[in-house]
Amino acid sequence: MKSSTPSESAVDLFESRLIRGGTRLIADLTEFFRDYRVDDTTFTIYAKGATRNKGFLLSRFLAWTVLPNYSVSLFCVDEGSALLTTEKVRKSVDTVARIIKDEDLKWAWLVFFSDRDFPPPIVSFISRYDKRELGLAAASTSSRQVVLSNNQVGRSIGKQLKLRKTIGSNRTWKN
Amino acid sequence: MEKLTKTQVSILASYSMPLVLLSSFAINALLVTFHISGGTLRLVLLAGSFPIGFVLGRLIYTRRSHVEIQFDNSSFRVIKGSKEVVTGFWRNYRMVSLVLDQFGKPNLRLYKTKGGDHVDLPISRTNAEPQRFRDYAQSLVDGRSPRGASLQAAEVA
Repeated sequence: MKSSTPSESAVDLFESRLIRGGTRLIADLTEFFRDYRVDDTTFTIYAKGATRNKGFLLSRFLAWTVLPNYSVSLFCVDEGSALLTTEKVRKSVDTVARIIKDEDLKWAWLVFFSDRDFPPPIVSFISRYDKRELGLAAASTSSRQVVLSNNQVGRSIGKQLKLRKTIGSNRTWKN
Repeated sequence: MEKLTKTQVSILASYSMPLVLLSSFAINALLVTFHISGGTLRLVLLAGSFPIGFVLGRLIYTRRSHVEIQFDNSSFRVIKGSKEVVTGFWRNYRMVSLVLDQFGKPNLRLYKTKGGDHVDLPISRTNAEPQRFRDYAQSLVDGRSPRGASLQAAEVA
C-alpha cells in the first residue's frame, strides 16, 4: 500500500490509518464506505466492524474464546471550511443513534473534522456528551484542536484512533 | 482498457520452491547416473535447479493465480490465471466499499443494492492504491466523470 502523500487530506490520512489496522486493539473495522448517505446526512467515512478481531492461529483462538463479538461502527463527518454548529452535531448524533439502534451496534465512534476553529458551544456539547454507546470527537485541522466526549468510547478515539497524530496536533484537551 | 496487475512473490515462491527441490533431486540423480562427483561442477549443475524451478513455478503461477484487473470508464474485468472470474459494468452497481480480507488487505466491493448482492475486486493483489481506486470506482458508480488524476493514481504502486 502506498504511504500517504502531502496532498492527502486529514480525513484520507485518518482512513488510511484505520485501513492499516489503527483500531485493532479494540475493534476490527473491516469495511469502509466513503460519502455514505443516511437520510439527509452524508458521512465522509462509514466503517463497519466487530470487537472480535480475526488474527492468525493463537490470536484468532484467543479472540474466539475470550473476546465478545459485538458489532461496532465508525462515522466521520468532514465539514471542510464550513462552520461546525451544534445543530449539525446534534443531527449527526441523532442519525448515528438511530443506526446504532437499527443495526444493533454495541457502540460507535463519531468524528468531526473541520478546517475552522470550534466555537465554544461545540466544545461544550462534545466534551459534556456522556452516553455510553456513542463516542464523539472533533478535530480542527487549522488550530489542531481535538475535543473528545466524556465517555470511555470517546476517550478511546484519542488513544486508539490516534486522532491527534492524524492532524499533527500535540495540543491536549482536558475536561 | 487500463490494467492493474502485480506479481505476487509469495505465491510465486510457494509454487516454485517445491519445483526447485524436485528439480535438484532430478539433477542429482542424473549426476549420480553419469558419475559426476566433482565438487565445483556438481554444485554448478545443482544450482541449475533454481532457474528450472522458478521458470516452471512461474508458468503454473501465470496459469492459475496471477490476477489482472482490466477496466475503463464503463466496464471492468477480473482475470485470475487463464480464467475471467468477474466482469461487469460500473453503471450496474450502486455502492462501493473497501473490504479488508482475513490478512487485513483491502479489496474493492461493489454492491448492486445497499447491503445486497455484491462482487469483490481483488485490488490488493494488484498495484492499485486502494483508496484512490475506490474513489475512482465510486465516481463511475455514481455516474460522475472520474477525477483527472485518479486513473493515473490508481496505477501507482
